[in-house]
Amino acid sequence: MAKRVAICAVAQTKYESNMWHKRFQEMCFDVIEPIIQKTGVNWDEDNGIRNIVTCSDDIFDARTISDNAVTDAVGAHYRGEEKMAQDGINGIGYALSCILSGHDDVVLLVGHCKESQSESRNMITNLAFDPFFCRPIGLDYENTAALQARAYAAKAGITEEQLAKVVVNARKNASKNPYALAQELVTAEQVMNSPMLCDPIRELHSYPVSDGAVAFLLASEDRCLEYTDKPVWITGFGNNIDSYFLGDKVLTSNFAMKRAAARAYKMAAIKDPSKSLNVVEITDRYAYQLPLWAEGLGLCDENAGGRWIDEGGLEKMNVNLSGGMLAGNPLMIGGMSRAAEAVLQLRGEAEGRQVADAKRALAHGTTGPVGQHQAVLILEI
Amino acid sequence: MATYFGIAVDDIFNTMQARFRPEGAAGMDAVLAYDITGDGGGCWKITVKDNTVKIENTDDLAGFSVKTTVDAETFVGISIGKVDGMSAFSSGKMKVEGDMSLLAASPRLFNRFTPPKKGVTVHDIFATLVERFRPENATDLDMTIGYNIGGDDGGQWTAVIKDGKCVLETGLRADATITQIVTAKDFVDLVLGKLDPMVAIGAGRLRIAGDMKAAGIVPKLFAKFTPADAGEEQELIVLKRNISVNMKYSTGRHLGMFLDALKEKKIIANICPKCGRYQLPPREVCAECRCRVEDFKEVGPGGVITLIEDVYYASPDPLTGETRETPYGTVHVLLDGCTPDCTFWHFLKNEDLGNTKEGDRVQPVWAEKRDGGVHDILYFEKENG
Amino acid sequence: MGHKNRHVGIIGIGQTTYSSHREDVNQPEMIQEAVALALKDSGLKIDDIECVVHGNMELFEMIHQPDIWHVLGDGGYGKDAYRITTGGTTGITLVAAADNLVASGMYDIVMAIGFEKLQEGHTTGGITNMADPLWGRSLQTGALTGATAKDMINEFGEDRARRAAMRHRITLDKHAKLNPNSHRSFGLEYDQVEDLMDNSPKLVGELRLIHMCSQSDGACAMIFASEKKAKELSKHPVWIRDHITVHREETFNLFGHDVPELTHHYAARKLFERNGIKVPREYFDVFEMYDPSSWWGLDWLREFLLLEGDEHLRMIENDDISINGSFPLNPSGGVISANPIGATAMVRVAEAAMQIRGDAGGHQIPREVKHALASGFGGTMWTVLFMLEKELGWEEID
Repeated sequence: MAKRVAICAVAQTKYESNMWHKRFQEMCFDVIEPIIQKTGVNWDEDNGIRNIVTCSDDIFDARTISDNAVTDAVGAHYRGEEKMAQDGINGIGYALSCILSGHDDVVLLVGHCKESQSESRNMITNLAFDPFFCRPIGLDYENTAALQARAYAAKAGITEEQLAKVVVNARKNASKNPYALAQELVTAEQVMNSPMLCDPIRELHSYPVSDGAVAFLLASEDRCLEYTDKPVWITGFGNNIDSYFLGDKVLTSNFAMKRAAARAYKMAAIKDPSKSLNVVEITDRYAYQLPLWAEGLGLCDENAGGRWIDEGGLEKMNVNLSGGMLAGNPLMIGGMSRAAEAVLQLRGEAEGRQVADAKRALAHGTTGPVGQHQAVLILEI
Repeated sequence: MATYFGIAVDDIFNTMQARFRPEGAAGMDAVLAYDITGDGGGCWKITVKDNTVKIENTDDLAGFSVKTTVDAETFVGISIGKVDGMSAFSSGKMKVEGDMSLLAASPRLFNRFTPPKKGVTVHDIFATLVERFRPENATDLDMTIGYNIGGDDGGQWTAVIKDGKCVLETGLRADATITQIVTAKDFVDLVLGKLDPMVAIGAGRLRIAGDMKAAGIVPKLFAKFTPADAGEEQELIVLKRNISVNMKYSTGRHLGMFLDALKEKKIIANICPKCGRYQLPPREVCAECRCRVEDFKEVGPGGVITLIEDVYYASPDPLTGETRETPYGTVHVLLDGCTPDCTFWHFLKNEDLGNTKEGDRVQPVWAEKRDGGVHDILYFEKENG
Repeated sequence: MGHKNRHVGIIGIGQTTYSSHREDVNQPEMIQEAVALALKDSGLKIDDIECVVHGNMELFEMIHQPDIWHVLGDGGYGKDAYRITTGGTTGITLVAAADNLVASGMYDIVMAIGFEKLQEGHTTGGITNMADPLWGRSLQTGALTGATAKDMINEFGEDRARRAAMRHRITLDKHAKLNPNSHRSFGLEYDQVEDLMDNSPKLVGELRLIHMCSQSDGACAMIFASEKKAKELSKHPVWIRDHITVHREETFNLFGHDVPELTHHYAARKLFERNGIKVPREYFDVFEMYDPSSWWGLDWLREFLLLEGDEHLRMIENDDISINGSFPLNPSGGVISANPIGATAMVRVAEAAMQIRGDAGGHQIPREVKHALASGFGGTMWTVLFMLEKELGWEEID
């Protein structure tokens, strides 16, 4: 690939637990407006935005063709638009291909999800399972995660104390992130004594019900300086899918994660990820996922996720300075929000949580109940 | 009697009583008439009321709620799933008068018709004997097997096995290596595995003449017989589920202001600050100019019809699941004060359907009780009408 | 608009038959049928595929993130995997996505899979769910409208317009009869024009049941490769020259008044301009159009081919659009004959590519096909338009 692709701008809403006062259409425009203001980008037929990648879900939005509902708000009137129907971080990978292919040179990426609109997000994720076997027995993303949490704890010896550290750290970081929802500081005791949500997952181990939107502007190397003087380069991307049935998809295996990461690392010429990244943003819907996914990403050895936490891995590797998904992002855009934080860090715009001299960042997103689909993005400045 | 796909029209109607599902008929009070044309056809009347059904073979179809006219072959085909009902209807092979929605509900009334299974015959078994021969188990084998099968369906056959080949002859050979003597019914049951051979021999229902030792080889010489319709034996299960997840839809400020105004019998549009386009219902962003639209203005309530859609297709209202009554009219109305591309979509008064045209002036008819929803306006009617 | 980074060839096509009776398979099994056929067509094994792109509309079958379950049938296990959807356009959006992913250099071989099992939900109800729950949802009747019929009747007179729409319908029914995969072909004859235009049940205004597409179950899979790989692996790759996507705003506010330009016309104008196609009707040897109804199929011929006046009607009246005519339209029988929505728009590209390869079987156009056009339709009148070529080496226009 001769050319490079840059992220020129990023914008997020503050994530909220119930954005009852807004339609998701307005949430989308709320993040597009600052992109227009920051970059001066327009929709000129020859030189402006001709293609928009959106991310949303028909069932969360209760609308067939959920992207049709936002075509006005994302500026897709008489322009191209394609919906990424997975975690929106894959939309960054796809937008990368749109530009590298030569088909586009400027792409707007907009994701939204409003978990609060439905009576229960678990009722939505129950619908992700086949209607014959797994759906009737009541599987959803929460209770399957509990199965995974238990299996991982048994395999790698993860303790309540280690999980509490993950949550305490997430809240500490989130308190410095103006976009985060769950900013209230908690103690390890509070985490360990919080009520069981779905054994062994406790309430404070879980990401809160969240609403929000996020947008990116991507451009080719030739065009990016028109929109920013601090382009953030996409230097690696890979994703991968594991098997469906729990059991076929070994709960504690990082099969898809390792393959996704291997592709991204190869593209970005990263040999040892544990030594090559200044910022790491991991999609942790539940506390146990942070060490589990960190093992898969090669940030620590297999089964060493707990020790990695105890030895200060989170702090040393600047993991989830945004507060992570635990601080509250909706399902479809968890990985996208991770990427947004990575961009802010690389641009030096992360304010009170800024890492000094960040050159290279990793953002991770996952789709499916227990990490069936994983995506890894490498960004550099 | 004429049969189609091996089934007569009578077979289907005669089993309806037994196939009736009272739970599928809840709340239904209707007469479904069928005029089945062509060979084997006739007229039937199905009366559904109070969770019971009455099936009559009568030429008097008067008083039907819905009447279906279709040729016998198509009718049987649809009943057993060999012909697509919608396609038959679309192509004009099946004609329907009256309340179409009843027809859509009719599959719920009856368990599906399943054709009676045709028994396997002795001839079926011998028809495939040679192709079921397994030469790999007959190397260097030289034997003849006689079959002396009694009863109506019986007959006499001899399988000659030599040089790795099997030839079937009719009739018996006196010098057969072995000969099986059995009735047709028992023979079929033995082949299908319903009758144990040792039991049959013990009971004297199966006799084997000749070299008993050779009899032990016979089962290995032929692959298992499977009835021709075995593939259709499996009942395909279709799991029916209603999925409902309660939703809380936000109106946001723009739609909220519009819905709120409906309570006061006012229709409010918003106006793009750049292109001046009006939007109804109001939306946050102008799709053309990609900017916020914050100016609101009351429009109408009267206006000019720009398009009437007279709808005959009975589709469900996705919000209630209820099938809409047809025909009904929807109208696009250019409300007074709006820009030409900002038409307002709503229903037309039923009585005005058919005598209203594009260009006519209409006005909204408001619901007595209004709660800020689409039904605060009942419909539009002709002005001065 | 820069030049494409590298060329992309279509090297494998697999379609299930289309039917309203697929109780014999579940969703992943149905997808697997198309995937196996595409692999067989290309001579590849599933291990040769680097990346899978999956799509349909979630709400039709009410499966959230269906790619997670469907991995059982789509062969994506252990591969890079994207799920990209739009509306009725989904199938052709998947082709656009595969084209982008291969042309980018990120992947050499990509498989795209579009499917729908419409019998598992209520199609018209499902489409109505696209409208705003607080307003349009109470008013909309799926994708049914009589507006186009009304406009055409106003423009060309009732008798001529209705005859043309019905003649279009019958021509496509005849094409469908030649295609063993089609969901339905009624055996219609031209002497039925008058009977059908008066007696086929009305859906909305002059849009009658006979004019409207079917609701089908089915899947389509296609395999795409970079120029180098395509030349190595395939004896007859079909080349993707260009594609364009044009969406519209959320509401259907384009009926009942003059619309400056439909997306169909806009897409065609832009695409042909940047590829130097002056007279599309002469340039293209076949057009596979997403024609949800005969009225739209008829009207859009003028929009896509940038025709003036009544030329599109004359094309119907002169049988130019028949498989043996001067401009064959939908030799497959079109959407009106088979419509598994998430696959439908991909089938347009697949069928156009088969015509270029010359192996469409019973519905192969009886002369050489070098240049093909394929369109997708969806959402609130959205368009995706594709150009396919038999040979590389077309003139690049800046």
